Amino acid sequence: MSDILSYSEDGGLALELSAGAAALAVASAGGACALVMDASAGAGSRGPVLVLRGDAPLAGDHELVAQAILAAAKTRGSSVVLIGATKLGRQVAGKLAVMAGMGVLSDVRDLKVEDGKLTGMRGVYAGRFNARLSSPLPCIALVPRGAYQATASGPAPEEELKVSVLPSRVRHLEERPKSKESVDLRTAKIIVAAGRGFKKKEDLALAEGLVEALGGVLGASRPLSSDLGWLGEERHVGLTGIYVRPNLYIAVGISGQLQHVAGMKDSRVIVAINRDKQAPIFQVADYGIVGDLYQVLPALMGVLRS
Amino acid sequence: MNIVVCVKHAVDESELKADSAGKPQLQGALSKMSNFDRNAVEEAVKLKESRTGTVTVVSLGSGDWKKSIKEALAMGCDRAIAVNSGSALDALSTSYYLSRAVRRSGPVDLVVFSEGSSDTYQGLVAPMTAEWLKLPFLGYVRKLEVGDGRIRCELALEEGERVAEASLPAAISVVSEINSPRYPTLLQVMQASKKPMEEVSLDSLRDEEAPRGGVSVAEVQVVSVSRKRILFEGTPEESSRMLVDALKKEGLV
Repeated sequence: MSDILSYSEDGGLALELSAGAAALAVASAGGACALVMDASAGAGSRGPVLVLRGDAPLAGDHELVAQAILAAAKTRGSSVVLIGATKLGRQVAGKLAVMAGMGVLSDVRDLKVEDGKLTGMRGVYAGRFNARLSSPLPCIALVPRGAYQATASGPAPEEELKVSVLPSRVRHLEERPKSKESVDLRTAKIIVAAGRGFKKKEDLALAEGLVEALGGVLGASRPLSSDLGWLGEERHVGLTGIYVRPNLYIAVGISGQLQHVAGMKDSRVIVAINRDKQAPIFQVADYGIVGDLYQVLPALMGVLRS
Repeated sequence: MNIVVCVKHAVDESELKADSAGKPQLQGALSKMSNFDRNAVEEAVKLKESRTGTVTVVSLGSGDWKKSIKEALAMGCDRAIAVNSGSALDALSTSYYLSRAVRRSGPVDLVVFSEGSSDTYQGLVAPMTAEWLKLPFLGYVRKLEVGDGRIRCELALEEGERVAEASLPAAISVVSEINSPRYPTLLQVMQASKKPMEEVSLDSLRDEEAPRGGVSVAEVQVVSVSRKRILFEGTPEESSRMLVDALKKEGLV
């Protein structure tokens, strides 16, 4: 038997992957199996769940997770391992690939199994081009959020597998979770994103006003979330941040560098507000206002209120 | 302390054009050191400057990839290994040959990467190379401290920060907020060409562990941007009214 295995430490993504694994399994006439490292995590999975248990907790450490997945792949026989394209997932996939000698298709959507190969589409060159990648089976695919829809299903049959793993060589000393604002830009319908056009942190109140008027969520380009530290990483839209596709994306004071555009170009409607008519953001926008955000935002909020 | 930093010479994605069939015009396209790799070089050189040791830059590529190596040497690396790959390799093969080149460089305490390359941004080569070298790996480092044969790092993860440590030798990937890369002076650029650079072929690095097969790129196609690109250039009030009307028609407000 040869299964499509799936794993992500991100619960929502894990459910999406289990739906993806089920879809691929139908196409490749095999089985699907969602791997979990914590028994409470499998609820809602599409298809059978395999709970992996080590002597100590496995989740959260890429060395342990990779070893556990390898043990599951050996026990079940696997043609494809789907892993959530998170920071931990990339490290798990990297280690697993070397241990098992498997290729990795990264950040792929639209996966297909055909002629003993797995193919998938991904963006390259900061999202300006799409590439179809292909790897012989067995292989690993890193799959981002939104590639599959989590589908509801009845209680999934659950099995347990005891795995023996070498202890991790990384010592985890301290977790500093983010402040519990719990913003999830990936599920937002409307995003107002702020960029370098804002001169100081206090001025973000203007963007927040628009967020409130529209019932949206505040996002940011990289300088604001990392270099300046005005906003948290959870609001960073872009290649190295979060990939979003809301119905409405309003970029305020963002010039439109490729790295930012890569994270928002699939939004349904894009609006740009920028004082520089030549700013590249207008090239990827449906509607643009050329003007100073310090004048445009108050005016826009006035119109929205009336 | 002996440090190896791995850099990629990548196509400048902002300058890349599509031909009439929508394929990227890679022939003659501008290339440069992958942006984030400059932070990796900076961190390696900074670490060396605060203690004794050498920094070796390793880069696998072809064509004019030595330009990036020279830039890293100008930024303060001491010597280089240039792996001539002939053509593009997938992450598994790239990491395998990088690991062999790292071994060839001699005893090493720390291998430094960036979080991903600017052209494909997979974030795979770093953890893979670490695994080939059987080194512990710490990914997405935003701050680090080395001492007593250990490296302690603050990691920038999705759900927050984590403090983690590993014994040396180890491998890490750094995020770009860890530092601001220096710009070499003209003198440093000139001196860089005198630093030792060893060019090696894939054949000379290959052993029985070399991966076979791998990921291939079947087709690359430009993403067509079909946006309305309607600009409002009136007074803030006029433009705002027109925008809100447009958004109403789209059913968005």
